[in-house]
Amino acid sequence: MISIQNVRARRPPLALASVSLEWGPGVHSIIGGREDGGALLLALLAGIALPRAGRVRVLGRSPALARKEVARIPLEPSLPDALRVDEMLGVASRLRSEAVRDPAERLAELGIQALEKRTVRSLSRGEARAVSLAEALTSTRVRVVLIEEPITWMDPRAAGLVAEALRAKARMDGAIVLTTASARDAHELATDHVVMDRGAIVSGPTFTDPRFSDLRRAQLVLVSPDEADARLLAAGLARDPAVTALTQEGVVVRVRGHDAVGVARAAASCAVKAGAEIVEMRWESDPSSDLRAAWTNAPAAIHPPPAQGGTEKIAVAPRTGSEPEPAS
Amino acid sequence: MMLVTLAFGAFARLIRTPRTWLALGVWFPLALAIAFFARDQDAAHPADHLLVDVVGAVILPLLVYLLVGAMLGAGSLAASASPYVALGARPAWATLAFVGVGATACCACGAALCGAVAALAHGAGDPPRAHDALVSAYVGGLGGAAYACWFACGAAFGRRGGGRPIALVLDWLLGAQDGTTALFTPRAHVRNLLGGAPPLHFPERASALALVGIVAVSILLSVRRVRPKR
Repeated sequence: MISIQNVRARRPPLALASVSLEWGPGVHSIIGGREDGGALLLALLAGIALPRAGRVRVLGRSPALARKEVARIPLEPSLPDALRVDEMLGVASRLRSEAVRDPAERLAELGIQALEKRTVRSLSRGEARAVSLAEALTSTRVRVVLIEEPITWMDPRAAGLVAEALRAKARMDGAIVLTTASARDAHELATDHVVMDRGAIVSGPTFTDPRFSDLRRAQLVLVSPDEADARLLAAGLARDPAVTALTQEGVVVRVRGHDAVGVARAAASCAVKAGAEIVEMRWESDPSSDLRAAWTNAPAAIHPPPAQGGTEKIAVAPRTGSEPEPAS
Repeated sequence: MMLVTLAFGAFARLIRTPRTWLALGVWFPLALAIAFFARDQDAAHPADHLLVDVVGAVILPLLVYLLVGAMLGAGSLAASASPYVALGARPAWATLAFVGVGATACCACGAALCGAVAALAHGAGDPPRAHDALVSAYVGGLGGAAYACWFACGAAFGRRGGGRPIALVLDWLLGAQDGTTALFTPRAHVRNLLGGAPPLHFPERASALALVGIVAVSILLSVRRVRPKR
């Protein structure tokens, strides 16, 4: 439904550098701050901005031609401020060439039917975003919904209903693309995730939990019982494509990679293959990040001890062959 | 159908803001009061003088400037059209609706203003009252529409429509002369049509066509300015 090929775009202070993506029906998230380019990507998909290079296709057409079937809900929604909410919904239906429906019924989708007779000018930002989202989700014509921060600055009456409403729209063959700086919101709302950093895609599309895959600035620290094991680990990890940087100091091996899950998997796999023991394993993460490390599909039992300071330790009992347990 | 829907939105914005009624409430009574007192001055052509020197030169441009500002709010032309673009309208059509509604409203206001002033300030040396009022209404209407498109085009420039006051100043500075540059402003042609000094000895018919040309060029420029940018 949505295709982006080698797109470069710039709208100061936002920029995109050679982004390629394919999205079908479903709820998709772009994780990153606004300045990382998610907002610009949505503007490109809505036809508000044009790429400097590359190709953008929405529903098989250029975004300008698919405009009636695309709804964009930015942080500051732009609605016809002189109209009442019910009038605005009528105007929207006529512009989208669809039958005009009962506005109260449409607004009830997000629990905001009380706003029906209010003027758009009098709405708060959260209310305006909720009205805008209700219009998009209840439109029979709209098939692509682009939304910035679906939970943040959302009317409290609507915020609790957003997740189910987005999923319902996606089930009706709709594509929802949301941008958020919150990995938790992305995990709760979307089924797949792209991580953007300063205009580039640094991870994804991935179907893993973004709270775990967004540890790109963290490094994995492995502690072996002796230096020989550490050397074995370092030698094995050096050959793994998921690892981008590696250091070994005594019994400690520090590993970095683009994808935290990939690095963790590489470490586990390497430990098993090389027959090296790991007595301790922890993430040294960016202190500003609230993300938590995880150990998925590891061929070892995991017993997470309480977190200490800015790092999270995961103790590993190697080569037990038991099923992995998720970190809490 | 889409254009009608868009025009409804633009019209609602124009009539639902107090700025519109404030502008009309100040400038209309002022013009009529001046016309009323000019009639008592015992001059040969009070309507002519009043239309050329006061209404055409000051009141009409300022009234239209304020009406276009009321319709567009504090933002640019693109910002006014953007809510409708977000709802699926083509940017060119949304722009056209705003400029069209502005031009129509200002055409009606200009016609009413000039016609009423001509009728009220009618003097002994002026043409017959009804004929003079009709011709003045025609010039006021054409001038009002041209000014509306001129200012709307100005509002298409600048992040917050800062080109609109620049358009007013340009009209004031360039249009007051009778050289080549005056040809590009509504002011010189409105003055010519109301019986004032023509720019470059332009005949009245040519000035009417020039105002139509200013309308067309302003609309084209406005539509071009609101297209998405790379």
